[in-house]
Amino acid sequence: MSALLKKHLAWLAPVLIALWVAGSLRAPKRADGADIAGFAALPVLHEGRVKPLDTVARSSLLALRGKQTIPVRGRTVGAAEWLLDMNARPGVADTYEVFGIDSPDVLGAAGLGPTDRRRFSMKELQPGLPELGSQAEQADAVPARERSRFQVAILGLNSRFMTYRGLQNSLAPGDTADYPGEIAAYAKVLGPGIKALHAHRTGAGIDRKALSALGGYFRRYQYMAESAPFRALPPRDGDPADAWENAGEGLIEGMQTGEIHPHVAVFAGLLDAWKRGDAKAFNAGLGEYRRWLADHAPKAARAAVAEVLFNRAQPFYAGMVIYVLALLLGFAAWLVWPETLRLTAFRLMALAWGIHTAGLAFRIILQGRPPVTNLYSSAVFVGWASVGLGLELERRFRNGLGTVVGALIGFVTLIIAHHLAAQGDSMEMMRAVLDSNFWLATHVVTITIGYAATYLAGVLAIAYILRGTLTRSLDEAQAAALSGMVYGIVAFALFFSFIGTVLGGIWADQSWGRFWGWDPKENGALLIVLWMAVILHARNRYVSDRVIMVMAVFGNVITSLSWFGVNMLGIGLHSYGFMDRAFLWLSVFVASQLAVMGLGLMPLHRWRSRLPGEPGPSPFLPER
Amino acid sequence: MQTSMKRTLEALGSLKLAVVGMVLLMLLVGACTLAQVRLGIYGAVAVYIRTFLVWVRVPGTALSVPVFPGGGFVGLLLIVNMTASLVTRWSAGRLKPGLALTHIGVILLLAGEFQTAFRAHESSLSIEVGQTLDYTEATRRTELAIEEGKAPAAHGTKAEATPAGKPLATISERDLARGGELALPGLPVSLKVLRFLRNGHLVMQKEAAAGAIVVTAGSGRKLTVVELPAATSDDEPETPVAYVEAVAGGKSLGVWLVSPVLGPQVLEAGGRKLALSMHPERVWMPFTLTLKHFSHDVYPGTDIPRNFSSLVRLVDAERHEDRDVLIWMNHPLRYRGLTFYQASYGKGDTLSVLQVVRNPGWILPYLSCLIVTVGMAWHFLLRLAAARRDP
Repeated sequence: MSALLKKHLAWLAPVLIALWVAGSLRAPKRADGADIAGFAALPVLHEGRVKPLDTVARSSLLALRGKQTIPVRGRTVGAAEWLLDMNARPGVADTYEVFGIDSPDVLGAAGLGPTDRRRFSMKELQPGLPELGSQAEQADAVPARERSRFQVAILGLNSRFMTYRGLQNSLAPGDTADYPGEIAAYAKVLGPGIKALHAHRTGAGIDRKALSALGGYFRRYQYMAESAPFRALPPRDGDPADAWENAGEGLIEGMQTGEIHPHVAVFAGLLDAWKRGDAKAFNAGLGEYRRWLADHAPKAARAAVAEVLFNRAQPFYAGMVIYVLALLLGFAAWLVWPETLRLTAFRLMALAWGIHTAGLAFRIILQGRPPVTNLYSSAVFVGWASVGLGLELERRFRNGLGTVVGALIGFVTLIIAHHLAAQGDSMEMMRAVLDSNFWLATHVVTITIGYAATYLAGVLAIAYILRGTLTRSLDEAQAAALSGMVYGIVAFALFFSFIGTVLGGIWADQSWGRFWGWDPKENGALLIVLWMAVILHARNRYVSDRVIMVMAVFGNVITSLSWFGVNMLGIGLHSYGFMDRAFLWLSVFVASQLAVMGLGLMPLHRWRSRLPGEPGPSPFLPER
Repeated sequence: MQTSMKRTLEALGSLKLAVVGMVLLMLLVGACTLAQVRLGIYGAVAVYIRTFLVWVRVPGTALSVPVFPGGGFVGLLLIVNMTASLVTRWSAGRLKPGLALTHIGVILLLAGEFQTAFRAHESSLSIEVGQTLDYTEATRRTELAIEEGKAPAAHGTKAEATPAGKPLATISERDLARGGELALPGLPVSLKVLRFLRNGHLVMQKEAAAGAIVVTAGSGRKLTVVELPAATSDDEPETPVAYVEAVAGGKSLGVWLVSPVLGPQVLEAGGRKLALSMHPERVWMPFTLTLKHFSHDVYPGTDIPRNFSSLVRLVDAERHEDRDVLIWMNHPLRYRGLTFYQASYGKGDTLSVLQVVRNPGWILPYLSCLIVTVGMAWHFLLRLAAARRDP
């Protein structure tokens, strides 16, 4: 059995995992037959981009509770279904536990303590709302930099309440008992109301009853129009392509033109059918609307369907999981079945890289942009480039190191990306100054490849130091091979980070007339370039391999500070988003790197692996 | 070559010195980045980078001592190091072409930064729709201008249809800071600067404090000044203030308080009406720009800016140019050595702010980038090929 497994593992494992990934592309079957997947694929306009409802629902749910699904009484409610319930059955949606609250102080203020739970429903929070509101008001009066942890947390919760309320009013009024009935009643008062309004304006008398009937609806729909975060009603024939409206606007339109936006009724019908549990009517209405979309907004409809597939496959998540597997197998290969496990790990990493590449390609096509447009995508791309280099190293050296190092960086960067994704849709629109595909493709991509290479060199150096100091497995030949790899990658990193940095300067010269402004992000990039150059110049003659490795590990510290640290300074033209928790993780990372460096600085005779002695006690030797 | 000279060149061009220089530069860049939280980018760059030495004030005294080489020093050190190294390697016949190109490119890059520090000039142009201007305003320097006194225009209305025209005389910020009496050629008065503050706050006061300078003329009577520390962030405005005394024929005409927030103030001397006004230092252009239209688009349903653009009329009588120009993000106007970039906007999209840069050496980084790219690619590809041939 064991021999059989050993013989076939190297192809069996990748195939099985590929099948698992392919399986996730299929929409889950529902017992009631309702076409939730079709509903999820409806295009809407959100934050300046047409995207499927699915993306809006997932990114909102991620921001509210930190996960894209909700467990409800033994089953899992997906994001799109949750958004449907929010509008069709707000009373039911209010019982879903969607508010993640970690701060015990906030729990106390909301009157929820003492409990071990961390996720709560709107219904549970309802009694505490007045107190939370007044706390938020107090916190809001404090300047952002001086707020306490509690105040930051309370404001965060408050903004999630606003998101929640907005979502609940995005397709239908949040408190309507019978939406189609309400629309019919509204349509009835529209005619007399408009007439009365006209009469009032021209001074031909006041019909108070008709006016106040209309006024009541106006206030109601005005609230919806202002709070809805996305626009679900597509442009009608003849409208400009970006003339999307939200349900509130579509309803108010009736008061201006006498006719309610036709798609208001479409959504009202869908929501009503869902509320009544009539899957057949729901599917029929949905089918009709999707046929209309396919005829009248084919591009938006097709892109939305593709994006839903992308959301469902979660290629970067799948990639992350497979990288971990590859990493563990790579480690195991040093203990048992060295050749089989090394090959399996390598193939798994190649598979994960293929999925990673597909995800990246999909984003590029969907957005019409080069791969790196924000912090999130820079993490995805750094991982991609590192793993690519790792694959090449493994292909060439076949010693398992390329796999372990590549899979490790791939895994870590995708975890970082996963956490950054919780900040909202990762394909947001580009600000005017950044809106240049040419520079995004040249400067940003080159410099990100530079980041990837510095990490790869740094992690290889960690492997050298840890194996050398903690195990007896590092022999002279391996040490020489590793040091050659590190040298090559440092040269590669210097090349790309130098060009990327200077291209950034040239972009700055093009857009605000200043080649170099000593902005924190620019300085960070310059530090990476300088450090890589220092390593190359030091390696020439003076410094032993061991010290070069320690220096390469320090490259990890500098690159991380440049990549994330400068965003935490909160100044400069490049700062994009402040992250609190990230600061903690960054500190932990830097500390770990310093520890490895300390280990590497131990004199060679205390290392467990026996390496040839160094030619002198000091790293700076006399020039020959 | 004499051995002593050779030895000196070898020492200057040594790898050790290169490593030391680069590490020093890293320390400076790191310190400059961290100091930006406290000093703002402009201040931090002045302290660490655009200086030959980093000075620190001894606590409790007015004495400053140099504690570290500054950006200028380290930059020169690296230029000398690379040049010396190129020369020694070349004369020894072991200069590799890829490395030579790379280092020549880096020398150019550093030279470009020195050039920028000494010769580049940045200013800004805030222009309203319909307004015509023939000057730009320096971002961080002020000046006191003496103009022909007109009936003072209502304060705050800036949109003039015709260009302002040069003043009769100006006093630069450096002269203001130096103080003392300044003769104004061609004018019947001279001005004596009693006190100048780079950043102050004007407050009403009922009685003059003992020992304070008493303002006797103009709109600054009843006002006093509280000195403020220098601004720490780059978008925090500073308000310069000066007390000046006008003297004609050895006789004082009064003491004026001048500041950009007070607007022009009239003084009469020798039968002439003159206007004193303090404003950002003006840089006069030999042509005029008129803002015809400003547009500002956002992505639908968001506040995320999609594009800003300014449509301006460029009129240059000397060179017979009279044409429309569209300035937008990443598409500046380059004209007569000046480059105009779309930088900002205001007043409900009727005001456009252009950044104006004069940088005669702007081409250097472009050249350098090209040369270094070729050089490094050459060198590394050769090494890679060698490693493949004999691993």
